[in-house]
Amino acid sequence: MSSIYISRFFRLLILLFFQVLVFNHIHLMGYITPLVMGYMVVCFRHNSSRISVLTWGFITGLLFDIFSNTAGMASASCTLIAMVQPLILKMFTPRDAADDFKPSFLTLGFWNYILYTFLVMLILHGAFYLLDAFTLADWILTLTSILGGSVLTTIIIVFIELLVHSKQKKKHHA
Amino acid sequence: MRALIDLIIQKKHWFVFILLEVISLAFLFSHNGYQKSVYFTTANDVVGTTYNVISSITSYLHLKEENQALEAKNQYLRKKLLEMQQQMAQDSVKRMPALPLKYELVSAQVVNMTLHKSNNLITINKGEADGIRPEMGVICSQGVVGIVYMTSRHYSIVIPLLNTNSKVSCRLRHSEYFGSLIWERGYANIAYITSIPRHAPVKVKEIVETNGYSDVFPAGLPIGQVVRIGDSSDGMSYMLKVRLFTNFTTLREVSVITNYTSAERHMLEEIAQNPEKADSTMLEQLKEATEKPDNPIR
Repeated sequence: MSSIYISRFFRLLILLFFQVLVFNHIHLMGYITPLVMGYMVVCFRHNSSRISVLTWGFITGLLFDIFSNTAGMASASCTLIAMVQPLILKMFTPRDAADDFKPSFLTLGFWNYILYTFLVMLILHGAFYLLDAFTLADWILTLTSILGGSVLTTIIIVFIELLVHSKQKKKHHA
Repeated sequence: MRALIDLIIQKKHWFVFILLEVISLAFLFSHNGYQKSVYFTTANDVVGTTYNVISSITSYLHLKEENQALEAKNQYLRKKLLEMQQQMAQDSVKRMPALPLKYELVSAQVVNMTLHKSNNLITINKGEADGIRPEMGVICSQGVVGIVYMTSRHYSIVIPLLNTNSKVSCRLRHSEYFGSLIWERGYANIAYITSIPRHAPVKVKEIVETNGYSDVFPAGLPIGQVVRIGDSSDGMSYMLKVRLFTNFTTLREVSVITNYTSAERHMLEEIAQNPEKADSTMLEQLKEATEKPDNPIR
């Protein structure tokens, strides 16, 4: 049990490190910034304790806020995706899947995984950028940020997943 | 009641969700100017230190640009230096930037000089034709050289500091106590200051400069540096040993300050010293000089 927490903790640290050092400095077209922190929530297994998901999501968002000076914005949106992640995952659950499967290419299938990730990211970026703008006056800009950020983050997460996947495969073969 | 507790347990994640969202939004709205919450921003110690470490790492990434900028700056400064050197070579006044512009300098070359006699003299290759008159000050890039003694049409004789008859009034740069600089036969780079009062706070290495009391040099021209503090023969005052800035053994380029001596002042002092001789013509001359106060004696 504790090993799960430790691995989650390290995943959080690594994600935070890359988010703060690398992804926070990406401003595609001047305003599209990927929130790769959301990967923390995307990873949660099917039928995980919902309170656990919520707590981890909140902590993730809070740490992001502290490092990015975005008080409350990321913690609110990360808590939101932590709430909806189980519901979205349920939509994509294959019939023959194990009860506590981990969302990945293997379990969900390539396109389904991308769609699942994209939906979660859309909600994350939607909440984040709406809280950021807090108005619909400049809705084209907000919409571009949301869509662009979601797409970019989904691509990055797919790459991370492929990397992890290939490593696991190698380990499996060895 | 039982049903309510069941509901709470069943839907507890909703309560947690609402609680966390309320906390988040409370952060968001109460810290809308996030200055108030130092602990939840990059201003706290842990985050600040982390960013410090990060910036110390990432600063290496910018070294190339920084180097280029520095190189460009170097180039610019080198060019400036070269320009300056050329200009200084023309002026032959190399270390006198503090000299106010109202003094005109005539540059001259040393054509003859003795160093080992007790009354050394320097001959320079500019004279009356260039506006040089007796009692004008002579300086070089390093400091004070001496005072013009005699002039001919194209040459002048200068009494350098290295002359036992030379007496230049000077002061200590910091304490501003003044005395007069004399030279004793011997070393070509050592002179002495007499009549500095014993209560003056003199320090070794203090700079000695002209004090502007005399009619010859403007105040503040460097003369030398105190190397030893001793007593005068009567024990009433200090006798300071001064290492002269001017290197007389290699002296070649000098400048004569041509328009410092004011005719008005000169005249006034003359009248004051010999009041009984001051007749109407002298007063007339003084009046004339007053009208053109910056005119040098020509």
